Amino acid sequence: MKLSRLCFATVFTFAVLIAAGEVKTYAQAPTDPQIAGIVQTANQIDINHAKLALQKTSNPQVKEFANQMISDHTSLQKSVNDLAKKLGVTPQDSPTSKQLKQQATDETKKLTSLRGDAFDKEYASHEVAYHQAVIDAAKTTLIPNAKNAELKSAVEGAAPLLQGHLEHAQQLEKSLGSK
Amino acid sequence: MPSNLRNRWVASKNDCFCVGVMRRNQQDSHEYDRTVRSGAPLTTPPPLQGRRRILGAAAVAFLSAVCVGAQDAQPAGGTNHIVVIKQVHFNPARVTVKPGDTVKWENDDIFSHTVTAEDGSFDSGLIDPGHSWQRTFTNTQTVSYHCRPHPNMKATLVVQGGKNTSQRASVTLKWSPPRTPDEFHPILVNFTAALLPLALFSDILGRIFRRKSFHHAAWWMVLYAAVITPLTAAAGWWWKLAEGSDLPAKVITVHQWLGTAAVMFFVTLAIWRWRIHKRDASPSFAYLTFTLILVLAVVYQGSLGGRMVFGK
Repeated sequence: MKLSRLCFATVFTFAVLIAAGEVKTYAQAPTDPQIAGIVQTANQIDINHAKLALQKTSNPQVKEFANQMISDHTSLQKSVNDLAKKLGVTPQDSPTSKQLKQQATDETKKLTSLRGDAFDKEYASHEVAYHQAVIDAAKTTLIPNAKNAELKSAVEGAAPLLQGHLEHAQQLEKSLGSK
Repeated sequence: MPSNLRNRWVASKNDCFCVGVMRRNQQDSHEYDRTVRSGAPLTTPPPLQGRRRILGAAAVAFLSAVCVGAQDAQPAGGTNHIVVIKQVHFNPARVTVKPGDTVKWENDDIFSHTVTAEDGSFDSGLIDPGHSWQRTFTNTQTVSYHCRPHPNMKATLVVQGGKNTSQRASVTLKWSPPRTPDEFHPILVNFTAALLPLALFSDILGRIFRRKSFHHAAWWMVLYAAVITPLTAAAGWWWKLAEGSDLPAKVITVHQWLGTAAVMFFVTLAIWRWRIHKRDASPSFAYLTFTLILVLAVVYQGSLGGRMVFGK
């Protein structure tokens, strides 16, 4: 158990570092369509993980959290799509969004292999790390590089929501007893 | 929906904080104005002479400070207040209402939220976008609340001030120890308001009947008053700081500084009284006059406090 957590932490840390490095080197300034694509991808990943959690967990707290993630990120996704349509921006893939997808595939594999308590803990701690990473990416990369003012303020507007998810996930993690 | 939605995400930060507490019943604010202009009925006591005047002043001081004066009953039902939930924030983040008032939380966001008290005293359950939840608050309290799905959404609700009919109907005999400044200050005020006039009264009786025991009693009462009054003032400041900007500005300014000055005068008075006590003498006319002025100041002070609590 401990070993798997350590492995995960290490893998995740590297993943974030690589992602951060990639953002700097390849996508020093993601374009607006790329930013919209990153936000969409990040949203979809969280929805997918929550759907997986609903299938696998029997813990009411985890269910409640997963339902909230689906509901909140679906609403957020819709508002981002509407905004992109309005601005005439077609979301595009970028090294960052590809990276996110790759990490998500790995995490999904890992989550699929776990059951019961171990699954709940892994899901909760991943949600903490994931939201933290997305908040950091929004602050350091997406917001500063967004050209369109409306897109910029939309990403800024999402920050308190993500912060709320982060704190909720931290509470969940704590109550599940995983540190 | 889409255009609305966009506006929400596009709205600048300035936009989202402009929604204040909307008071649908505007009567309250006018009442404060009248209070300030109408002057203080208690500063011009009826022309009683000598002892009766002092007795009268002492009685008025006691009554006003104890805050049992008759109040105009306010219409039952209370005022409605609105807190708008938008962009993952409660706007405004701090609402002060009177007992009996109703607060309505309107979810103008695109996400579902809850209104959940930290102390567990209320929980709205999920309020979906476009829906609202309301609750009437009868007990004086300060409650922090948050949104369960988004724990970073924090806000405060303060229920305090003028008790209306529905509030008085819900008063119980249950014992609960004082915890908040709005409980401490009125309790401590009683001691200040009682001890000083009684000390003066006791000294005057001592002079009339030439009894030392009256003077001894007066010295001790002045000492107690000088010990307790700083605590009264401290509780008052605590209350004011907790309350923030929701108090009538002029009245609170006079009340806080008159109160702070009173603390100094009480200590001065105690030192003066102690010197007289050491000589085992009767207090001088100057001392008695000084004390009388202080009593009148305390009466005025008490009436200001009462007005802020009861809104008269």
